[in-house]
Amino acid sequence: MISGIFHSTYEKDMALRKTHTQKIRIAIVIIFVLAFPFFANRYFLTLANQVGIAIIGAIGLNILVGYTGQISLGQGGFMAVGAYAAGILTARMGMPWWGSTIAACFITALIGTLFGIPSLRLKGLYLAIATLAAQEIILWVVTHWRALTGGVDALVVPDPMLFGLRMNTDFNFYWVTWGLVAVVTILTVNLFRTRFGRAFIAIRDQDIAASVMGVDLFKYKLLAFAISSFWVGLAGALTAHYRNIVTWERFTVDISVLYLAMIIIGGLGSVTGSYLGATFMTLLPAVLTNLGRAVKSVLPVIDSIIPFIQQATFGIVIILFLIFEPEGLNKMWKDLKDYFRLWPFSY
Amino acid sequence: MSRFSKTLFAVLVVASMVLTACGGGGGGGEKAPIKVGAIFDLTGPTSDVGTPYGEGVKGFVEWKNANGGIDGHPIELISADYAYKVDQAEQLYTQYVQEGVVAFMGWGTGDTEALRGKIAADKIPFMSASYSANLLDMEAAPYNFLIGTSYSDQAIIAIRWAMDDYAAKGNSDKPKVVLIHHDSPFGQSPVPDAQAFAEANGVGFMDIAMPKGATDYVAELAQIQQFGASYVVIQNVSSPAAVLLKDAVSQGVTDTVQFITLNWCSDEIFINLAGDAAEGVIGTIPFTPPSSPVPGHDDPDAWLKEQGSSLAEKGLHYSQGWWTMATMAHGIELVLKDGKEVTGENLRAALESIQNFDTGGVTAPISFSPTSHRGSDSLRLFKVENGKWVQASDYISAGD
Repeated sequence: MISGIFHSTYEKDMALRKTHTQKIRIAIVIIFVLAFPFFANRYFLTLANQVGIAIIGAIGLNILVGYTGQISLGQGGFMAVGAYAAGILTARMGMPWWGSTIAACFITALIGTLFGIPSLRLKGLYLAIATLAAQEIILWVVTHWRALTGGVDALVVPDPMLFGLRMNTDFNFYWVTWGLVAVVTILTVNLFRTRFGRAFIAIRDQDIAASVMGVDLFKYKLLAFAISSFWVGLAGALTAHYRNIVTWERFTVDISVLYLAMIIIGGLGSVTGSYLGATFMTLLPAVLTNLGRAVKSVLPVIDSIIPFIQQATFGIVIILFLIFEPEGLNKMWKDLKDYFRLWPFSY
Repeated sequence: MSRFSKTLFAVLVVASMVLTACGGGGGGGEKAPIKVGAIFDLTGPTSDVGTPYGEGVKGFVEWKNANGGIDGHPIELISADYAYKVDQAEQLYTQYVQEGVVAFMGWGTGDTEALRGKIAADKIPFMSASYSANLLDMEAAPYNFLIGTSYSDQAIIAIRWAMDDYAAKGNSDKPKVVLIHHDSPFGQSPVPDAQAFAEANGVGFMDIAMPKGATDYVAELAQIQQFGASYVVIQNVSSPAAVLLKDAVSQGVTDTVQFITLNWCSDEIFINLAGDAAEGVIGTIPFTPPSSPVPGHDDPDAWLKEQGSSLAEKGLHYSQGWWTMATMAHGIELVLKDGKEVTGENLRAALESIQNFDTGGVTAPISFSPTSHRGSDSLRLFKVENGKWVQASDYISAGD
């Protein structure tokens, strides 16, 4: 009979996986991720890669918005920096794809820090508008600095090769994406067990109190922007190498909003939430399209209105989440776990 | 339930499932369907023109299947809305390729360019409504086929016409031309070729990007006047083009400047939105509008009338979708006639053998070859008169 989770040592309290069930669950997830590509067809691999890239981007954004409390609408712009940096370094300067990916992370971190400077003076909605400006400025530069980015034309990136293997096939890229998802996850989860992570959370909860306690606001806010942009740049660089082509149309403000929706629906301030939100928002259109096809074969009359139903469903799902579970999928997942842990006698 | 009745029940269930399966397959007597994938923009930013185009593609498939299919094989069109989102285009594309489509009908410049690498790797012949000259690069886009005249060729034809018109008005010098365009790969596409052509012919040239989401273009019009342009070529979609024309009329720019619209703003929507301001505008239209009937309009019109609509109501983008799909179907027919299996590679070879495919006057005759996927480099100019596109020239070629 379990009535809750109790710890008798600090080590146990600080552990990432506190119970046996959690350990078994993570083992099942790892086995599933490792086995998946051998059973999945190309369509599912494409979806898995899109989900993986979205998870990295969502974790990046969650560090800034969910953990540090700095609202950002610049996600699309920062992803564009990552994608263009990786694309230009590989296509124009012949840097290997893995080198340009790492370089793109640092470049994006630098640009992110630059646009994070106003965050010292601006909070909440004002910061949101400042980051929206970052999004627009970055896209404007990308589309108008023709000598560097090729302007509004598409930038073609050569195929990423590793030991003679073309890495951007759906199967090969799966290992790149999900390997990096694992790295990003481990580093981010551990980040919030260090003084840096705790400083971020302190700033989110009450910045003045944090400052009184000795947290250097300027330093840590900029650091949050840098770390967040680092991962977001990685997501952008992966898009560039996976798709071999970079166009600005992929990084509009819609993307910034989509990623915010991901972390809100998934759960702010949680890595698991980033996973759930990114998966949910990436798969929802695919699920709706396939549902539409299934319905179409039964009820051919509604064929012409299916796209509109899909669009409406997308919006309705978001609204329902905000009303009924503002803490997102992560909270639902926790509630579900608690329910079964204490079953049948929950208090 | 006894053992016997259980077995009987199981047999009945299985039998009924088999029967329904056959029923779904269309009677079993038909030849195997040919799968073609398609993505349309029905809800996104270009849905105003994407919807009739998609209906045209679907309309052709239904009409063809109702008339016996391609050599007895029905076309199975698998399609969905992708709302002009590149990620969704990629999802749908891989899904349909997984399901075994042999050809793909795309839509916009963004998704067509983003997919061209995959198309080449998968060997799936691809036709879309993007006429960007980048897609004519046989190395980078070996499976993309262009039905319409490319944006570059359209712009060159527009400048060519401007030079003739300017000379016909008794001027001895060369005109100045401005190319004003959407700020995107689609808009930017014709700029380099148009500029090269203008410079080679001594025509003054300037390009201006139309800012996104602008509510008026007064500043751009002032720039045009300052430059001293006599001709303005518009590469954009209908609604911003209509706003530009309305502003031009109210600023008195149309008194000295002739506006020429490229194909995505030369349609019925443009005339409806611009109203009187559209009068006198010249359009480079690769797909003959229903307001000037040609034999190629008859089949789609008859098919639409059966459904209680008409081609005049659906507009020129319907016949554009119809004839794009018809060209792809013609390629499939050639493969079947050769007795070969319909695969992407065979279809590409068959399409490349097409010479002067007659679209009943909707487009200039379409020809492809192993070295060029440029369906046609000529088109007719149309002029807005009394709220209708009226033919204003014979076929003009961008070549030479």
